Amino acid sequence: MADLDFGKTVDLLKNAMDGSGLNHSVIANNIANVNTPNYRRETVSFKDALAASLGAPADPNQLSLTVDDPHHIAINDGVEPTPYETPPVHVDEGIQMRGDHSNVDVDQEMAELAQNTGYQQTMAQLLKVNYSQLGTMFRENP
Amino acid sequence: MSSGFYSSVEISASGMSAERLAMDVIANNIANANTTRTPEGGPFKRQLIVFAQKQDPSAAQPGADTPQGDQGGGVAGVQAVGIISDPGPDKLAYDPTNPDADANGYVHYPNVEVVKEMVDMMAASRAYEANVAAIQDARQMGQAALQLLQA
Repeated sequence: MADLDFGKTVDLLKNAMDGSGLNHSVIANNIANVNTPNYRRETVSFKDALAASLGAPADPNQLSLTVDDPHHIAINDGVEPTPYETPPVHVDEGIQMRGDHSNVDVDQEMAELAQNTGYQQTMAQLLKVNYSQLGTMFRENP
Repeated sequence: MSSGFYSSVEISASGMSAERLAMDVIANNIANANTTRTPEGGPFKRQLIVFAQKQDPSAAQPGADTPQGDQGGGVAGVQAVGIISDPGPDKLAYDPTNPDADANGYVHYPNVEVVKEMVDMMAASRAYEANVAAIQDARQMGQAALQLLQA
């Protein structure tokens, strides 16, 4: 897949859109099961997987060096970036919201749905800007 | 993988068809609120729809957190697993001239509360709308992704 490397930002935005797509499926599933008795809502923490794919310096107030070759020396013992993987779906055992022992709050799900859609559209817009910048770079006579 | 654009639409569509079936069952209850004769004998019994989470083994997420055993895993929507009869007692009305009156002059009417059915109908209708909203959002997300081609 990674024949052409367009850089970290494009990969990150692509993974963000991937993750928000999965998050949408999970929220849609919670909404579809709003009248299912004993249903436990599900969540997916794709933003944690995104953060892990970036890694983190040990001390956020200190700069760290990027390590992308085994010969490089890591300083400050930062968290190594790990390749992005599709995050797992978790079952939320939160408080009961309904008389039928379901813990789905439809208002919360609709809010998260709207938030996720906005997030995905923002990421798509940023990706579009990134690609248009790449396009400018590739064109001989911009 | 189950995170595609179409699978989230399918999940919401399963919710819509389940809520529509619930609406059919409720409409049938209201239509038969005064039915005193059925092929099985006796008055009509209120019908209840049973929903269960649909499991899709092919869509199971590797490493999914499934503490419940029967929960979690594949994100696959909802399905109606059955329609059961409400075992509640019939409503009795004293009407000795009614052809369906029993020996004591009481007529057995269905255990359907029309007000309760109306409330259930509103809940099913709102749940249906929530699923429609989820599909509309999925469409918007798909459009945002497609617009990348116009960059």
